[in-house]
Amino acid sequence: MVARSALSRLAPVLSNARPAARRAALQAARGYATADSEQHTMTVRDALNVAMEEEMVRDEKVFILGEEVARYNGAYKVTKGLMDKFGEKRVVDTPITEMGFAGVAVGAALQGLRPICEFMTFNFAMQAIDQIVNSAGKTYYMSGGNVPCPVVFRGPNGAAAGVGAQHSQDYAGWYGSIPGLKVISPWSAEDCKGLLKAAIRDPNPVVFLENEMMYGVSFPMSAEAMSDNFLLPIGKAKVEREGSDITLVAHSKMVTHSMEAADALAKEGIKAEVINLRSIRPLDIGTIIKSVKKTNRLVIVEGGFPAFGVGSEICAQIIESEAFDYLDAPVERVTGADVPTPYATNLENLAFPDTAVVVKVAKRALYRTN
Amino acid sequence: MIRLPSVARGFSRRWTTRGLASAAGKLPNSNSPIVSKLKYFNSVTGSDELIPTFRVLDGVGKPLEGAEIPEIDENFAHRLYENMQLLPTLDNILYNVQRQGKISFYMTSHGEEATIIGSAAGLASDDEVFGQYREMGVLLWRDFGLDNVMNQCFGNEADTSGKGRQMPVHFGSTEHHFHTISSPLATQIPQAAGVGYALKRTPGRSSRSIAACYFGEGAASEGDFHAGLLLASTIPSPTLYIARNNGFAISTPSTEQFYGDGIASRGPGYGIDTIRVDGNDVLAVLAAVREGRRSVGHHSTSDDSFAYRARSEVEDRKRIDNPIARFRLFMESQGWWNAEAEEELKTRLKADVMKAFKKSETLKRCELGELFTDVYGGEEPWNIKEQREELTGLLRKYGEVWEPWRTELAKFKNNGQDLLKR
Repeated sequence: MVARSALSRLAPVLSNARPAARRAALQAARGYATADSEQHTMTVRDALNVAMEEEMVRDEKVFILGEEVARYNGAYKVTKGLMDKFGEKRVVDTPITEMGFAGVAVGAALQGLRPICEFMTFNFAMQAIDQIVNSAGKTYYMSGGNVPCPVVFRGPNGAAAGVGAQHSQDYAGWYGSIPGLKVISPWSAEDCKGLLKAAIRDPNPVVFLENEMMYGVSFPMSAEAMSDNFLLPIGKAKVEREGSDITLVAHSKMVTHSMEAADALAKEGIKAEVINLRSIRPLDIGTIIKSVKKTNRLVIVEGGFPAFGVGSEICAQIIESEAFDYLDAPVERVTGADVPTPYATNLENLAFPDTAVVVKVAKRALYRTN
Repeated sequence: MIRLPSVARGFSRRWTTRGLASAAGKLPNSNSPIVSKLKYFNSVTGSDELIPTFRVLDGVGKPLEGAEIPEIDENFAHRLYENMQLLPTLDNILYNVQRQGKISFYMTSHGEEATIIGSAAGLASDDEVFGQYREMGVLLWRDFGLDNVMNQCFGNEADTSGKGRQMPVHFGSTEHHFHTISSPLATQIPQAAGVGYALKRTPGRSSRSIAACYFGEGAASEGDFHAGLLLASTIPSPTLYIARNNGFAISTPSTEQFYGDGIASRGPGYGIDTIRVDGNDVLAVLAAVREGRRSVGHHSTSDDSFAYRARSEVEDRKRIDNPIARFRLFMESQGWWNAEAEEELKTRLKADVMKAFKKSETLKRCELGELFTDVYGGEEPWNIKEQREELTGLLRKYGEVWEPWRTELAKFKNNGQDLLKR
């Protein structure tokens, strides 16, 4: 029984084993600029790691806790090397009780520290959701502004690969509905670095939703993003690609599919604008409204279930706004299938949006049949 | 009560001194002696006896033979007694106020006066306290004051705990080192471990301050209790856990809440130093808490005075063995108290409580705009601003011309002008 449950927790890690050569390349990317013209790249994993390291250097009050974060370097190696640098007092391995260590994180934040609470995946954070929603999310308001709770809850969110229904769920909509929480769902390495650093410095509880499939993906990093003072504003979306024919809005891994879809559409002369949400709450609806007024068509792409999700919310806010009058086609949502995630690879692949589906739906919104 | 642990140290101390020289050796990851006799066990005392209950004063306030009276002087005894008497005075009035519908909720401290006041008196005044909701006495002991109590219960403009945003008795005061009460049961138990951890890392407070966490024996059925004790002992964290066992989780008797030797038996299971204390004996509670926090940084408590008592027994006990009466008899035996002092105190406390109640009842609610403040610290997000602007727009349109709104606005400090004049 014990062995089996331990395995079920480690399953995502096992499926994520990466070749050593790749890892060496990642480490090289950790170096700082030697010349301004040099183009840096960094994986999402390293960007998260660097963000935590820099903030821990900057502020003694920042510490990390969670399962396997210290000696094992994190189930996905996101906290790699941090225990060696900062010691076991600031990188704390805990027993396997999300309710317990999330509660410890909340208590430490209420007492003035700035904890980063890593969940092995947000699927397990449901054990701790009362601490996140009822305690972290509401104490500042209920204490009349007397007691802030500056905690970051982070870990992989959304579907991974081959880990079944209980490990494959997107919680953006769940936490996104709670006043008092800030919710971030980054895509690129720059997003991860700038937003995680901003989350750690934010005086509010922040839910930081990573994606396991993105950890090993490399992105270019600007010189600015390599600086240890690089912060991105929470609550602001980024227009990743400008276009005039249709707006594709996405977050996390779905930005990749939307960017690829925009490339494919461009070959047919369609100029898609791609908006990377970055933050779920506060939601930057202004950027979407502005884009829709320009393109007159909106497709929202997400990895979560369709009902009561991020796409539903954006759709509702758009039709409540002046952008409604600019729409030339119904708003389309591209989402995960409305079933518990299947385990069989072929079915799992069908259960989540890919680039081809985004292209197809975008064309539908443009009333193009081929 | 349970004192928090020096897990590693506690274990090795306890288990290596017991002489493990066994011919069969031991298992690789354990100091557990190997035996050849098959025997199940179901006791933490090492024998079949129940965990004993610590008591200093008997039912009529006489020290037990061999009992050590904790160091208190006459003034301190007076302060203990006055605070114990203040609780039923407040309870009687606020319980009735709640029955009249003037406040939405109330929780009494009946029968728990000695547990709350005795433990409050054993803590340092800046130890960080997490309550469940029956720990108003801790705040009273720390001079929170009756006005603050009443203002919180009425949720008026003078409510320092939370600007009227919490149900009655959900107090909080950073000044008094009392964390804001959370309604969901037992969430404070792991949080207290986090506070203890933070104290350990706070210059000037490590090895001086502790976190003290109260909960009822009903809350000890929540997963948070087990998770919290586990975390407090493994991190480890200087936290004192105080389980108030009044015999009931709302209406379910303890006998249906847990099986085994009460809440206290859970403590050693987590490697936590534990004591069971007679919660009707203020001096026993005081002594146990003082001792518990003395070795700060390493130790947690379950006050199990009412374990395994069915309802009728508890009620008999309330009449026969009242914690206040027991301490009064002790005070009288010391020559520190008499009937005249009793009369004077009761009259004074009632007058004080009524005065605070009347003053608080007439105060207005916080400014209407406070509806939107403190959702977030730092820069205010657009969705909060938008809602404030929408309400302001509606107020401008209807606020002064429509009678129901005019009446309603008059209940708020500044009559909604804080929004209207923006």
